[in-house]
Formats: sequence, C-alpha cells, structure tokens
Amino acid sequence: MNILVLNCGSSSLKYQLFRMPEEQVLIRGGIEKIGSEDALHTYKTDGQDGQDQTTSQILDHREALQQVIEVVTHRSGVLQSVEEIAAVGHRVVHGGEQFALSSLLTDEVKRAIQDNVELAPLHNPANLQGIEAMEAVLPGVPQAAVFDTAFHQSMPPEHYLYPIPYVLYKRHKVRRYGFHGTSHRYVSSRVPYLVHRDLMNLKVISCHIGNGASVAAIQNGRSTDTSMGMTPLEGVMMGTRSGDIDPSLQEYISRKEGLAAAEFSSMLNKHSGLYGISGLSGDMRKITEARAKGSARSALAFDMYEYRIRKYIGAYVAAMNGVDVLLFTAGVGENSPLLRRKICDNLTYLGLELDPQANDQGKGERIISLPTSRVTVCVIPTNEELMIARDTQVLVSGLESWEK
Amino acid sequence: MNIQKIGIVGAGTMGQSMAETIAGKGFEVVLLDKSEQELEAAKLGLEMSLDRRLTKWGITDAEKKSILSRIVLGTNLQLLHDCEVVIESVWESLDDKIDVLIAIEKEVGPEALIASNTATLSITEIAAKTEHPERIIGLHFHFPVERRELVEVVRGLKTSERTVESAFHFIEMLGKQAVQVFESPGFITTRLMLPLINEAVLIFAEGVASAYDIDKAMKSGYGFHIGPLEMADRFGLDTVVDMLEALFHETTDPRYRPAAYLRKLVRGGRLGTKVREGFFTYDEWGERA
Repeated sequence: MNILVLNCGSSSLKYQLFRMPEEQVLIRGGIEKIGSEDALHTYKTDGQDGQDQTTSQILDHREALQQVIEVVTHRSGVLQSVEEIAAVGHRVVHGGEQFALSSLLTDEVKRAIQDNVELAPLHNPANLQGIEAMEAVLPGVPQAAVFDTAFHQSMPPEHYLYPIPYVLYKRHKVRRYGFHGTSHRYVSSRVPYLVHRDLMNLKVISCHIGNGASVAAIQNGRSTDTSMGMTPLEGVMMGTRSGDIDPSLQEYISRKEGLAAAEFSSMLNKHSGLYGISGLSGDMRKITEARAKGSARSALAFDMYEYRIRKYIGAYVAAMNGVDVLLFTAGVGENSPLLRRKICDNLTYLGLELDPQANDQGKGERIISLPTSRVTVCVIPTNEELMIARDTQVLVSGLESWEK
Repeated sequence: MNIQKIGIVGAGTMGQSMAETIAGKGFEVVLLDKSEQELEAAKLGLEMSLDRRLTKWGITDAEKKSILSRIVLGTNLQLLHDCEVVIESVWESLDDKIDVLIAIEKEVGPEALIASNTATLSITEIAAKTEHPERIIGLHFHFPVERRELVEVVRGLKTSERTVESAFHFIEMLGKQAVQVFESPGFITTRLMLPLINEAVLIFAEGVASAYDIDKAMKSGYGFHIGPLEMADRFGLDTVVDMLEALFHETTDPRYRPAAYLRKLVRGGRLGTKVREGFFTYDEWGERA
C-alpha cells in the first residue's frame, strides 16, 4: 500500500510517498512559491544521490498537487499510475478539542478543521486548501488528517486550563492545546524498543528542540502536560520565540515603544529567543560556534536556553512525581551534544548519569546515559511523516475491513 | 479572479505606503511615477519606512528584503500590462486623475480592476471619460496603510456589481476591512474628519485652548488614537486645505470653508509632519518631538 504524506503551507508544500507496511520512503519532495510564475519543485527518489528540481508556473495548490502526482507517477518513475496511491495523509496543525486521534477526512471533519481556523489562522486554512485540492486531484482516494494537537488532548483540565476567568474557556475555547504532538507521540513510541520496558509503566519527558521547541510529560504513554499552550509561543525559549514571559510586558513595552499589537506579537515570535538575546542568530549551530569563539551574548543566550528547558524538565519531574526516561529529539535535540550535556549536568540530583562518549560520539537512535543511571537518557530522531503514514494506513485498513 | 500583481501609479507618500503593505501580503507590485527622480525618492522612502518597522520589531530583515524584492519601480505604463489590479494615487487633481486613468485603461487587460485612491473627487466624473467606466472604482486607503485597516470602496454611478465584488475580494485578500460607499463628496471618513480638523484649528486660532490640550481632550475624552491637530499635521496642512476647498467647491456648504489660520500656516510653509513642523514639531522619523 502506497501512502502519500502531505504537509501544506500557504505557499509551499512538502510530501513523502511511503510504501507501507515496509515503511520505505519511495520519494520525497517539496514545492515553494506556490502562486507564482517561478514556483520551485525539488524531489529526490529513494537511492538517488542528488535531487531534481524544476521551476514552473504553479498558481494554486491544485496545480501544485497535479505536478506532485505527475512527478510521482511519470517523471520519477516511482509509480506506474495514480491508482497505486492508496491513501493520502495530511498534517493538520490544529484539531482543537474535537480530535484526540487522527481521523479519516469527511465533510464533518473538514468543517471541524474550518471551525479551528481562528486558533491557527496561518496554518489551518493552508492545510484545508491542500485537502480540498487533493480531493480534486485524486477523487475517491481516502484521505486522513493527523493533528499536531491531538496527542495532548489527554491532558487533564487542571493542566490545560489557564487560571483566568473560566467563562473565557467556555466562550472562546481559550486553553492550552500544545503542539508537536505527532513528534512527541512518535519518539515516545520508540522508547520501549530502546529501554525494553512497557511504555504503560514509564514516566517520560520528551524534549522536541528544533527551531520551535516544546517539552512534554508523558505518563503511561499519554501526554499529561506540555510546554506550548494555546499557541506555539508559550513554553521554553526558542530560536526566535520568547516562550514564557510576564503578560504585563505587553502593556508596558507597547506603551514605552509605541508598538501596535501586531508589532508586539512579531517581536515575541520573530525577534526574541536565541536571536533576541544574542543579536546574532536564532540558529543553535551559529550560537554554539560564536559562544566557542568568546561571544558573551551568544553564551548568555545559550545559558538562558538551556536553563529554561531544564526548568521545564524539573517541573515535569514534579508533575509526574518522578521520571524514568528523558529523551531529546528534533534539529537541536538530536544534534547538540553540548546542550544535552549542560542540561544533564544539572540533573544529577535525579540520579541521572550521562555517558559522555555516547552523548558526544554516537549517532542516531541511542541511549546516552550510563547503565547505572536512574534515569535513562535517549536521543531519538523524530519522524512525523512516518507517524502520519502509519495512522493513515491504520485508518484506511479499518475503512476497508468495515466496507467488506 | 486570480490576483497576483498590483500596479500603483503615483509613488508619493500614499503610493509608497500602499506598495509596502500590498507587497507585504505577498503580491507582486509595480510602482510607477513620472521621473527617475521621483522613483529615487520613493525607493528611499520605502527603505526608511521598512527600516522603521524593523527597528520596532514589526518585520524581520528577511521580510524587509522580500518585500522590497516584490516591488518593481518604473516610469513606463506598459509595465502595468499584466496587473490584475491597478490603483492610481497621483496628486488630487481631477484632470491629472482622468489622464492617468485613461492611460492605465490602454495598458491593462479587459478583466483588470482599475481603482482611484481619491479622498474627495467624484469617481463618476473621473470615470466618465474612460472607455469602460463600469470597471472604475474608488479604493480609499488610509495612511499609513500598514496600520489602518479601513478601505472605503466607492461606487461611481456606472461602477458595475462585478467590479464591486472584485474590489471587496481584493480588500479581503489584503486582510483589510472594507465599507461600501455610494459616491458622495468626502465619502464617510473625509467628510467627518475635515470639519472636525477645521473646527479644531478655529478653537486653536481663537485662543480657546492650546494645540496640546485640544488633542488631549479628544484623545482622553473620546478615545481618539491621535488628536485632530496631529492628524492634520500627518495629512499635511496643504492637503487638508486642498481637500476642504474641493469639498467646499463641490457642495458650496460653508462648513467646509478652510479656516484662515490654516491657510496662513500653509503660506508660511508649516505644512505638518513632512516638514517636521505644523501644529506640533516632529523628528526625522515623524515622531512627535
């Protein structure tokens, strides 16, 4: 069964075609600048060395997806015909309170995604555009939606509510939703393979640290708390996002600097975090380099970043009354041994003992703590696309057996 | 209608502000004016405005570059040939606007929306001499366009329903709020604002209150974001006089007669924010000194 996994933005999309259940990626690619005369389509098939790219006029998502299908079935030679695509899985950012699981796409599900547009005004409309374009390009092929928020729907109300008038939750669904759910779910699902213990008996703290970053407390396989909130701005310090701040800063800074609400929001989302403190970059690789060369502000940015992640870890140890597994994933989490070491150096009170060699020199999915450590520390490369393909496969298989 | 490219004729303050905002929404923009000298000034103005937003964290360096890369400056009207929407924002003179609209009409495709950004003139009259007055409409943006959500969509006598629909669609794509106005001098906003400014000038000239207190009263008492005298400075006092005269001329209603003191300031070259001195003084960024 071949499953196409799509992640549609407002003017770009990324895709991977999986052969399931082998979980083999047959082709992966992306299109940028949809809606222009010089849209760029790059793709790479399994085993290919370089990548192919073409520039052409692509005016909307439907044209973009037609080109994807054309590349998959003709130009790349990966498939012989469109009939070989059994299903399509879409990443959808916000499922609101309606979706705790992935779902086959029906009119009702689409309406629910539409209902959540206000909660994710940049992402959900683009996701919907991709879904509707795909329906036009591959009519009759089952499609599934996999939500970034779904995994965290298991949070109890005392964790997901903000301590503000309750009526705001009732009226406008103001609450914490959390993000990176598909990633946290994937990496936590890998834990039993590494530690040889059932996830149902483990307390896991998952640190997804990429350009955006979030920490999740996962108890018995279910998310019980996570650092991102109603939007991805809450929580730990990130590349260009501030994470948690005193809400009164908005009133004070806006008055002092004469900022409009949109400017303040842009400041917190795009000019803060590592970039805001270092004045140099939001990219952890550059910060680490500059820190090594003696840049005091890059060192400060690094220390703040590390401290704020560690504080969340400490909070979640308290929230779960303990921790068995601490795991790191995503761009920074997978590739910064220095950050992992600095975090773990100050968690020795938990009986955590890092294995410096495994931390510094190992590659890929691995344990980086010593066998004597009371907390197992792991690095697990994330794979959200695979998770989407798996969910889609399960949903479509269910659909098929039901139809029989 | 698939809208990708917008033409703006007239690269003055308003033309620049529209170009910056529209390009910021991801559209390609062609910004035209008569001479290279005016284009140079426009280029400088755009850079300064974007730099200012950058220092206020409203955009990033990359966003500034990408906005500038989407704005093509030129003097040749032929550059408009593939624009789906063209907005003129040349000097507020009936003859100039008519000439420009006729010239635009010759260049663009039959489906293109042609709009005037006039604040006071009659869309019906501006459109009368064009070949297809049914596709001419008024789109009254407010300065600074980036910060002002409102656009008055002004229907001339012959403006077609289809043109109005396209205009509303375009304004929605820009994320702005449209209100429909059936042509009348000054529409909603200018008709309400100009007499208020004029009365504020009279209160000041009669020595009833200081400029600072007049603005403070309207800000604190009525929730105005900026007071009427600062607003006059920001419009440009010469522009205020011109607009009042246009309304006075059109309606012969004395309530639009420009206050003598306002004329005096204009004659003395105290034109407002753009020369850093009007009712108040301003720094090089246009901030109150």
